[in-house]
Amino acid sequence: MTQGLEMRSVSKFYDAGSERITALDRVSIRVEPGEFVAVVGPSGSGKTTFLSIAGALLKPSEGEVLLNGKNIASLPDKQLSDIRLREVGFIMQASNLVPYLNVLEQLLVVKRMTGKVTPADKAFAAELLADLGLAERMKHYPEELSGGEKQRVAIARALMNDPGIILADEPTASLDTRRAHEVVSLIARAVKSRRKAAVMVTHDERLLSYCDRICRMEDGKLSPMEPAAGSVLS
Amino acid sequence: MFLALKEMRHSKTRFVMIGIILVLVSWLVFILSGLGNGLAALAASTFKNMDADYVVFEKGSNASMGKSLLSGDLTAELLALPDVEAASPMGIIFGSAVRESGDPEEFKLDIALVGIEPGSFLEPAAAEGTGLDAGRPTHVLANESMKDEGFKPGDTFALDGTTEKLTIAGFVRDQTYNHIASVFIPIETWRKLAFAAPGSDKGLKDPVNAIMLQGKNIDPNAIAERLPGTETVTRAQAVQGISGYKEETGTIFMMLGFLFVISAFIVGVFFYVLTMQKSNQFGIMKAIGAKNGFLGKAVISQVFILSLASIAVGILLTCGTAAVLPKGMPFRLETSWVIVYSLVLLAIALLSSLVSVRTVVKIDPLKALGRVE
Ligand SMILES: Nc1ncnc2c1ncn2[C@@H]1O[C@H](COP(=O)(O)OP(=O)(O)OP(=O)(O)O)[C@@H](O)[C@H]1O
Ligand SMILES: [Mg+2]
Repeated sequence: MTQGLEMRSVSKFYDAGSERITALDRVSIRVEPGEFVAVVGPSGSGKTTFLSIAGALLKPSEGEVLLNGKNIASLPDKQLSDIRLREVGFIMQASNLVPYLNVLEQLLVVKRMTGKVTPADKAFAAELLADLGLAERMKHYPEELSGGEKQRVAIARALMNDPGIILADEPTASLDTRRAHEVVSLIARAVKSRRKAAVMVTHDERLLSYCDRICRMEDGKLSPMEPAAGSVLS
Repeated sequence: MFLALKEMRHSKTRFVMIGIILVLVSWLVFILSGLGNGLAALAASTFKNMDADYVVFEKGSNASMGKSLLSGDLTAELLALPDVEAASPMGIIFGSAVRESGDPEEFKLDIALVGIEPGSFLEPAAAEGTGLDAGRPTHVLANESMKDEGFKPGDTFALDGTTEKLTIAGFVRDQTYNHIASVFIPIETWRKLAFAAPGSDKGLKDPVNAIMLQGKNIDPNAIAERLPGTETVTRAQAVQGISGYKEETGTIFMMLGFLFVISAFIVGVFFYVLTMQKSNQFGIMKAIGAKNGFLGKAVISQVFILSLASIAVGILLTCGTAAVLPKGMPFRLETSWVIVYSLVLLAIALLSSLVSVRTVVKIDPLKALGRVE
């Protein structure tokens, strides 16, 4: 069974009135475990659509999406949410933490969604947080954290269910340069050490050096790029 | 449960405020039901506490004591009918008790004089003093509330507008009719008082207002066939026939109904708005894999916890209110009704929270990925 994420000629169409918008046009990509891929491209080119389909949030109009070898393209909604829970870790733009849960609970609630929280889960959560330099912040609420710390909690939360795939949509959009570097380097480190297949959408070309591979999205078409070509990116 | 409690602890003021409104509503519900019970008892407890199953009235009297006049001879005929286990005549008139002791203020107390046969199943047990005795026609059993007006066992009082004097043989509990104290007197004495004016008995022999029957299997239609000129109703129907009873209880029930509707809207709208505010948050949780059931449960358990706590506080406040209400207030809290109304309030709250659950189900997890504004 192939691990990681694989998309085979995936398209997504939206019907806007009489027009048909092609948000994704026959996109194919393979991301191996331990590989960190960046997706760049202009606004409206289809990056979020791509990530949503890879993350089982959206069903493709055509094509196959394989998560750890399993085709999820035509699964019913209920199973999709299960896939998201167990196989996918999302890191979204800022302020996506639950405001009334402290840092530790942010992670444990993911476990609660699957059933019971065991002492082993608590230990794992604590380990993840320590790994991300949040050991001192476990009992803090989101309102007491800095933007960078919040994103680090989001990274820990994405890793909590030990998913095979990590997807990040502009995780540094609300951070200053220093914090952005900090956060992306942490993602890169987790991806390597925990052997996740990771895709990050970003606008910030300075962060591309953390990635193994860069793809460019344009008008719904995904094409590979050399890492060295960072300077010509949008 | 986990999410529900966490959020309630985090946003205390918000939930305390809505809780206070629910407390006030449930408090009002319980007070109204207590008042309704109290009023109903005041209006009809003599009837309600009688150990009778059916009541025979004159045909066309609409189950109203005041409009019905029958001959006491019917009692024997009724007893001969199948399924009738016991029958006893009864009559009610209203009067005013005037205290004998030369009261300068001319103290008068409205009473309902209930004529019954001494020793029959209609005679309530004396809580104090002795019961009725056919050999002592002017000795009566009075409702306890007359004690609050200074009457004691053995006291004699006159009836306003008559030359009759009655002596209190004993007191009975919970015996009121049409909101005033019932005074049980032997039916012979009652006839003398009720039909003092010549011709007021319409020439009937031993006239009475109604005849009370015991017997679970009595068929009212069969009695109407055998004894034309009578109509037989259940005791509950006879209670409805008491003048003003339906209107009074109807008003209270209408208010209770409105309160239930109001509480449904309060809970429904509050949690709906709250859910709308949190739709982004719910979207994120759905994106990371939360199922509708998980989030729906969080909303419902929040409503459950909040309503349960509010109702409990409402009950406590009602008990407190009951303790400080003046004695004359017709307030009577019955545990069974408190339980019923608590469950109704809880059920309404949970039902109206389903609107929010539906909203949660409809939230699109895609919201989380910064697509929909
Ligand atoms: N629900 C929808 N209905 C119709 N069209 C949509 C819908 N969602 C997205 N689109 C269209 O699909 C295209 C791709 O959108 P997408 O959000 O993937 O772009 P993006 O690359 O993430 O842009 P940005 O960098 O601004 O976030 C856009 O033209 C957008 O208008
Ligand atoms: Mg986007």
